[in-house]
Amino acid sequence: MIEISNLNKKFDETTVLESIDFSVKKGEVVALIGASGSGKTTLLRCLNLLETPNSGTITIGDTTQVFSERPLKKTEKLKLRQYSGMVFQGFHLFPHKTVIENIIEAPLIVKKESKETLIKKGEALLDKVGMIDHLDKFPDALSGGQQQRVAIARALMMEPDVMLFDEPTSALDPQLVREVLKVIEELANEGQTMIIVTHEMNFAKRVADKVLFMDDGYIIEEGSPEKVLVHPEKQQTKSFLQLLDDEA
Amino acid sequence: MFDWFNQIHWEHLFNPELALDSLPLLIEGLQITMIISLFSMLFALLFGLVVGIARMSKFKLLSFPARAYISFMRGTPLLVFIFILYYGLPVIGIQFTSPIVAAIVGISLNFAGYNAEIIRSAIMSVPKGQWEAAESLQMNYFQMMRRIIIPQATRIALPPTFSIFMDIIKGTSLASVITVHELLYSARIVAGRTYESMTMYIAAALIYWIVCVIIGYFQQRLEARYNRYISN
Repeated sequence: MIEISNLNKKFDETTVLESIDFSVKKGEVVALIGASGSGKTTLLRCLNLLETPNSGTITIGDTTQVFSERPLKKTEKLKLRQYSGMVFQGFHLFPHKTVIENIIEAPLIVKKESKETLIKKGEALLDKVGMIDHLDKFPDALSGGQQQRVAIARALMMEPDVMLFDEPTSALDPQLVREVLKVIEELANEGQTMIIVTHEMNFAKRVADKVLFMDDGYIIEEGSPEKVLVHPEKQQTKSFLQLLDDEA
Repeated sequence: MFDWFNQIHWEHLFNPELALDSLPLLIEGLQITMIISLFSMLFALLFGLVVGIARMSKFKLLSFPARAYISFMRGTPLLVFIFILYYGLPVIGIQFTSPIVAAIVGISLNFAGYNAEIIRSAIMSVPKGQWEAAESLQMNYFQMMRRIIIPQATRIALPPTFSIFMDIIKGTSLASVITVHELLYSARIVAGRTYESMTMYIAAALIYWIVCVIIGYFQQRLEARYNRYISN
């Protein structure tokens, strides 16, 4: 479903991603872990083309995009982007729109679907993420956990083939982390393909089919959660996990 | 101290009877003032939006002229600019049909420079996350601007834009020097006839003030509307 090969990304002269190769099967949940600055967020953003890789290939669904120094055309961007939905660390709900307006906005404007259908669909999704009682509230009146659950619903409204989560719980108060992880886990159980950048190792162990450990722009180690998180082979992985243990 | 107070000839400062008698003439002038103000504000907003967006462009061919324009308009007095338009342009064969048109053109072009800066800074102050969220939801540039960025920028631009509108209303008084019969001109006619200049200037000042108070009221209403999604 997703094939990434030999992907490279530089910011000016700094290399952030170096010959990245990996694939994701339909229904698979992939956890991207690694220290800050290891490139995991950039990798995720490349899949949604919020960053444009300098070289390499990304295939999602039946669309293949080869990257070079040539800037992407708008149509190429939109084509690849339609396969993925993005959930940000900082939620980024539209503050001037209510919860229901937030989630129907994109399909209404981009796909020109009918408003009645979208409201029905939106209500069902909000029910699923436990936000049906907050339909007409503005984001500012919601807690971080509630905002993030709405943001997940907003991304799902576009029916993406793959959901991309960029540290979805890092900006949350500790007591709000669980409600968000629960929603993500439910999605995973339903067979939603997803890639998730996370520092929640227990969550990764429980939910992920595959874990990628990144360091300094490279994928150092990949495999089952058991293999990477419990019996890591590489030294960098071991020291990273050790560091997390020490903190806990 | 009290001697000084008692010696003041209050009737020279403000003669209510004269002010009241000349009110119809002043209101006539006010109509011209408001026509010039409204048209100038409208054009200054539209043109300011164009210049503001050009100023943000990554293409030098667009951003450089926009910068030069803003710099010139912000750096030259409105009165000087109106003089150049009204007395200078005829030299190269461009003659305004009426001084009112010259005033509207001058005020619009001058304040478009200020509006461009207000619009630019308001758009840039919409957080990056909003642009990225809209982009990741497959919106194109136009959809993103229209639905997500400009509505949020409008809230930010509202107070300075209203200040500009008030500046424009007061700025129209400069049109009196190119013989536009607006509010200040009307006041000066009566002042010249009666030698009661102070009464007439104070009356004109009060009318400008009342108009701006009314506009300030609309500003508050609009701000409340745009702030309704912000808690507390």
